[in-house]
Amino acid sequence: MYLRLLILPRVLSLRNSVTAGTALRKLPILVIGASFWWLLYLGTIHLLTFVRNMGIPGEILSEKLFSVIFSGLFGFLLLSSVITALSSYYLAKDIPFFLSRPVEIMDLQWLKMIDTILNSSWMVISFVPPVFIAYGISYDASMFFYVLLMSGMLLFIFIAAGIGISVSHLLTSIFPAKRSRHMFLGIGLILFIVLYFLLKSVIPAAPGTPEEILDSFLKFRADSPLLPGFWLKSAIFPVLKGAHSDMFYFLLLLSNSAFFLLLASRIGSGLYLGNLERLHPASAATGRSILSRWYPGRAAALLYKDMNIFFRDAGQWSQLFIIAALVWIYLNSFRTIPIGALQGISPNITEIMLLLNMLMAGLVLTAVSARFLFPMVSLEGEAFWTIRTAPVQMEKFLRTKLLYGSIPVTIVITLLVYWADAHLCLLWQMMLISTATIVMLCISTNGLGIGMGAIYPRFKYENIASVSVSGGSLFFMIIAFGLVTATLALEAWVYYILYIGQATAMARVITVLAGTASILLINTAAFYLPMKIGARRLTALSS
Amino acid sequence: MIILENVSKSFGNMDAARNISLTVASGEIFGLVGPNGAGKTTTIRMMTGLIRPDSGRICFGEYDIVRDPIRAKASFGYVPDRSFLYEKLTAREFLYFVASLYGMKKKEAAERGENLLDLFGISDAADELIEGFSQGMRQRLLFASALVHDPEALIIDEPFIGLDPFGVRTLINVLKGLSEKGTGIFLATHSLRIAEEVCHRVGLIKKGALLTIKDRDELQGIEGGLEGFFFGMK
Repeated sequence: MYLRLLILPRVLSLRNSVTAGTALRKLPILVIGASFWWLLYLGTIHLLTFVRNMGIPGEILSEKLFSVIFSGLFGFLLLSSVITALSSYYLAKDIPFFLSRPVEIMDLQWLKMIDTILNSSWMVISFVPPVFIAYGISYDASMFFYVLLMSGMLLFIFIAAGIGISVSHLLTSIFPAKRSRHMFLGIGLILFIVLYFLLKSVIPAAPGTPEEILDSFLKFRADSPLLPGFWLKSAIFPVLKGAHSDMFYFLLLLSNSAFFLLLASRIGSGLYLGNLERLHPASAATGRSILSRWYPGRAAALLYKDMNIFFRDAGQWSQLFIIAALVWIYLNSFRTIPIGALQGISPNITEIMLLLNMLMAGLVLTAVSARFLFPMVSLEGEAFWTIRTAPVQMEKFLRTKLLYGSIPVTIVITLLVYWADAHLCLLWQMMLISTATIVMLCISTNGLGIGMGAIYPRFKYENIASVSVSGGSLFFMIIAFGLVTATLALEAWVYYILYIGQATAMARVITVLAGTASILLINTAAFYLPMKIGARRLTALSS
Repeated sequence: MIILENVSKSFGNMDAARNISLTVASGEIFGLVGPNGAGKTTTIRMMTGLIRPDSGRICFGEYDIVRDPIRAKASFGYVPDRSFLYEKLTAREFLYFVASLYGMKKKEAAERGENLLDLFGISDAADELIEGFSQGMRQRLLFASALVHDPEALIIDEPFIGLDPFGVRTLINVLKGLSEKGTGIFLATHSLRIAEEVCHRVGLIKKGALLTIKDRDELQGIEGGLEGFFFGMK
């Protein structure tokens, strides 16, 4: 009954926060976002054209790609829903306000459900339109395809949100600890295990010949009839090809979305209030740990604080599981690549695989930096006044954060690349170049992450995981991956001119010099400029 | 010790501080009182370097907070009106952290830290996480952290929030003791009776402008003291 009233503050806040000034400030993000959309559209349409020109196997691959997109989307939506539901149901600062007012708990739950649906899906969904537009254009689909896709996606989001909310209620109830950190640890662990077995089942075993590779791709199942991704694909793909939609799958989506939202609401009715009472922080005597006894001095003061907090805040640990899953996907992908069989496809397969390895490592690096480096400034939270009123230069503050965050990230990513290079049996010169490249990319991407985290800080958060999925973080990931791609493209270009193309000696020298200078320039700029602007932004912070 | 010269700050069309000029001498306790939204917190945020003034100058001794922020910040301690702290640190770790930021040596920090924990009555909770602290304990810890580096000046925004009567009395005694030792203290408060008891001079601020400054003798000559003066303000 009061739901409309409860939503009103959010609508008003949104209206009041959209001003000409904020729109202008976000213009660079919009421009980069639009460019990213355009590139994603171009990439997808070219891929589809290439794949569909292969004939029947190409059509099958195109359909499988369509399935993979929905399966991946569902995984991301589910993860995002659990994290967002925990934040909005249990950690949001407005909860005591509503609980102390004559508000029906059911109305509060509906409000939180709307919060969860919106906040968990906007970023995931904002990535996909160019892909589906490319599919629509490639298949010359009717308007009905887009209408069905949008309504199907909505139901898809509802299912993920319903499951995510139910899981968050159950986890909060199962972990009876008075502090939410155990809960985050549990979620991280469960997600990692689920992801491990899911991927283990879908990644094909190593084939031996090119024919076997094609065969394994065609037999590869990206989804299951039990999962919503399959239902959505089955409802939409026939329409894409000009046939009638299979309404059975659409009704399946509709009934399941209603079921899971109601389930979340029923579970919430039984558990929500009791769970809230459990979450009050208790005073916890920690004793004097090894770190407590260490007196850091000025040089290591920030490191001392960050390390102490990291070891106690399991909210930050949940990020480790996501990163472990990424690393596992990376390692497993390379372990199953049949280099011997692929030699028959192209004489330069080792170089292509090296490039793919670096690109994949770059993707992992971007994701890890978005999870760890980007939120480091925001992690200070509302206690940041302590540092801002102390005799600490913001440049030094950012350098300390960079040092603390980038050493483990650089070591892990470099070891990964080294391991994959060794698996590819590369020449030592190639290994040296690839290792040097990844170390350089780690340093520049981490500097970019810390710097952009300082340019777009978010000190008022309910869960640090929400900073990793903010607009600023998305902006960072796009730029970081652009940096990785540009660096590798330049290296590939230099390699091509040197060893494959028919260039003159002079052209080769010019290419090497220009390529190296460009690589160094973009990486130095990516490292230096955001750090500089970030320090200035923090110094001039007005809130 | 503390000098504000023609300090102004506006947010959009609103003047939060208009040409504020005042000085706080070493050993003096200066109180700033005024209604809600008068500009007390904005003034303090400019003094502590959290926001920059649009014009004017704020100095601690010879150090300008805008031109030489590191040296200026090293000379004062600050107690904010809201007690946001690092929840996952213990009280002792937080004190060590703050002492480190000010470049204190370990022995000095440990001695001073223990004395302050004792003084503010939180030594029993020194190894507990701050997340379990009550508002009063947080306020006590904030004071301990503001004093750990033995500052020449102390800036306090609403010092008595959440303190029980014992805490208020302890704090009044601490402020008087610091004043006797030569620390310049600037405090903004709504507690008029306490301000009247501890402050040597009181400034009245309204709509961003410092209307007047009265010393203790002048206030005693006004009917109703500081409270009478405050409510008589147009």
